[in-house]
Amino acid sequence: MNIIVPIKQVPETSNVKMDPETGTMVRSGVESVVNPLDLYALEAALSLKDSHGATVTAVTMGPPKARKVLDMAISMGCDDGVLVSDRKFGGADTWATSYTLSEAIKALGNVDLIIAGERATDGDTAQVGPGIAAWMNLPLATYISDIEVESEKSLIVERLVEEGYERLRLPLPALITVVKEIASPRLPTLRGKKKAMQTEIRTLSTENLTLESTNLGLKGSPTKVVKIETPKVTRGGTVVEAMDDASVTEAVDRLMDFLRQREVV
Amino acid sequence: MGYAPVTPAIIRELKEILGDKNVLVDEEKIEAYSHDETNEEEYGHMPEVVVTPETAEQTAAVVKLANREVIPVTPRGAGSGLSGGAIPIFGGILLSVEKMNKILEVDFDNMVVTAETGVVTNDIISMVKEKNLFYAGYPMSVQTCYLGGNIAENAGGGKAVKYGVTGRYIQGMEVVTPKGDIVNLGGKLAKDVSGYDLKQLLIGSEGTLGIVTKAIVKLSGLPTASAVLLVLYETARQAIDSVPVIISNGIVPTSIEFMDKLSVQTSCKYLNETLPYENCGAMLVIEVDGSSAEQVESDMIAIGDLCMENAAQEVYIAEDRNAVERIWNVRRNIAEAFKVYSPIQSLEDIVVPTAAIPDIIPELDRISEKFSMKIPCYGHAGDGNLHATLVKDPEMSMKEWHKAEPEALRDLYSVTRKLGGKISGEHGIGIKRRDYLEQLIDPVELELMKGIKKAWDPNNIMNPGKIFN
Repeated sequence: MNIIVPIKQVPETSNVKMDPETGTMVRSGVESVVNPLDLYALEAALSLKDSHGATVTAVTMGPPKARKVLDMAISMGCDDGVLVSDRKFGGADTWATSYTLSEAIKALGNVDLIIAGERATDGDTAQVGPGIAAWMNLPLATYISDIEVESEKSLIVERLVEEGYERLRLPLPALITVVKEIASPRLPTLRGKKKAMQTEIRTLSTENLTLESTNLGLKGSPTKVVKIETPKVTRGGTVVEAMDDASVTEAVDRLMDFLRQREVV
Repeated sequence: MGYAPVTPAIIRELKEILGDKNVLVDEEKIEAYSHDETNEEEYGHMPEVVVTPETAEQTAAVVKLANREVIPVTPRGAGSGLSGGAIPIFGGILLSVEKMNKILEVDFDNMVVTAETGVVTNDIISMVKEKNLFYAGYPMSVQTCYLGGNIAENAGGGKAVKYGVTGRYIQGMEVVTPKGDIVNLGGKLAKDVSGYDLKQLLIGSEGTLGIVTKAIVKLSGLPTASAVLLVLYETARQAIDSVPVIISNGIVPTSIEFMDKLSVQTSCKYLNETLPYENCGAMLVIEVDGSSAEQVESDMIAIGDLCMENAAQEVYIAEDRNAVERIWNVRRNIAEAFKVYSPIQSLEDIVVPTAAIPDIIPELDRISEKFSMKIPCYGHAGDGNLHATLVKDPEMSMKEWHKAEPEALRDLYSVTRKLGGKISGEHGIGIKRRDYLEQLIDPVELELMKGIKKAWDPNNIMNPGKIFN
């Protein structure tokens, strides 16, 4: 089985600061990591490799330094990494990104299964996975929590929905996006790291892909970000302070009045 | 002991010195000052009064009063100590440095910070971080502990293999002596042999020789890159045997942490962590840091290779923050995980020469079996400091535990001494290990220590009953 896992580099967000002037994220000094939800896609692919045998290729679109996430994917056990990189791809929205990635995956040829993460932690759209399926005209199943290989030509997958789970039969080739329940991601190994350092990463660009230029990068992106802002918290709240024993009684009285006025008590 | 009680007249005098708000007598309020992170039932003791001076002068006036009246004074930082050092075992005055909490100066030219000792150590770290500097002497309880407590205990922690412990980074201090004088020791100086090094004597003195009110702390360049290896071994012996190999190889890791099978399994189950730990007998967590990603990567690979050559089953690596945190979480949650299993335990802090670590492991197994208790062993293998912890079997009665615990500790400590080790590496003696220290230490050394104590504190009012009687 040939499995492709599209992965993304995202800013590490545990210590993110927002610029109060522009309302955007301060990116300088922020470490880039592989999108944490893509780790589950990698794990799902590598589990299939362990149990059924498969070739797993990680694909990422980004600047040359995005090679780092491909190295990490190979360190975890992927067989190969492909970097989709070109200045013309810069500023792409989910439409242009899924188009470019779908063309890159077509160029790799002979794919049985594409496994994507649920969404990326920066954009939060969950559109690129399904977008690739649409461009490639592949069957799509999102929010998958379990995969069973039924035959060479089909999978039985379990899909997380609000009321519980759906079980679906999915003809291959297909694209699935997976949720955290699928498996806990493995850590990269030293052996894998060394393999990654020796692996020649293929780069796909406008030079070796046949692409519609109207679908590329910022120019090919129908979505325009007009403004990003941090939502204001409008709940004011009243602080009733009690500094010493005497003011406690007064504070309690004020709190009770407040609750009575609103008919809470 | 013959200490005077804290009378209403003393309270009045304290209020004159400090103002009403800095003198606490309400039982509800002072209860929080009656214990630290040791077992409250076993070691806790109420103070008669809690004072929170705002200056060194106020602190000195309180100590002068206490010395005149012969009332014990127990200094206290954040209360995160692990040996009962801040517990007022004779009642008296509990003096908390919590209101002396200002960072006074950041001097980039001299690469030092001057801070009051009620400052949370983490605040110093956050403050200098944006200038790409850091304070390297920080312990694992970094988010809560105070600089003052770190100095009093000469705290160590996870990064001591490379950076050493608190004492290395304290260049100067302001101290209130047990007689109530204020003295400045050291300074913004990298070298100083002008007489005895009293500053170093104060560091690790557990508040028995005075109250440090200010400190000058040395800063270092912030390492910009780091990576972590998680190394699995079939046996604890193999894991420990590779520690001296790593250390003697020329690359100094930031940390080498050891976790035995019991520690790993308990922590992983607690965290729902799915690392493949079933077939592994021990793990090492090794961190390397440096000023370039390339250097860190090559150090990481070199150390990983050494581990593989020395019987490691697998070497996992973490180069981004999420993976690094995932690995460290396993190590950091061991104590917490065991509290869920059995809250009654004795967290130990033995330290042995690094080359002797392999010899201590079978001894722990023996003691564990002999006294029917679990003894998970984890800690700072890179500097020989192991937190072997005696954990009461939930089935064992408290009566049996109280009988077994001191015997097991005596056994553990005498084995430690035989291997050239000491009973505490970074937590201190305090009240918890006092009686054991007196039994195990060279009598000449103990006499010298007592002589120093007497010279500094003739009335024995400064944190009495700690370290020794």
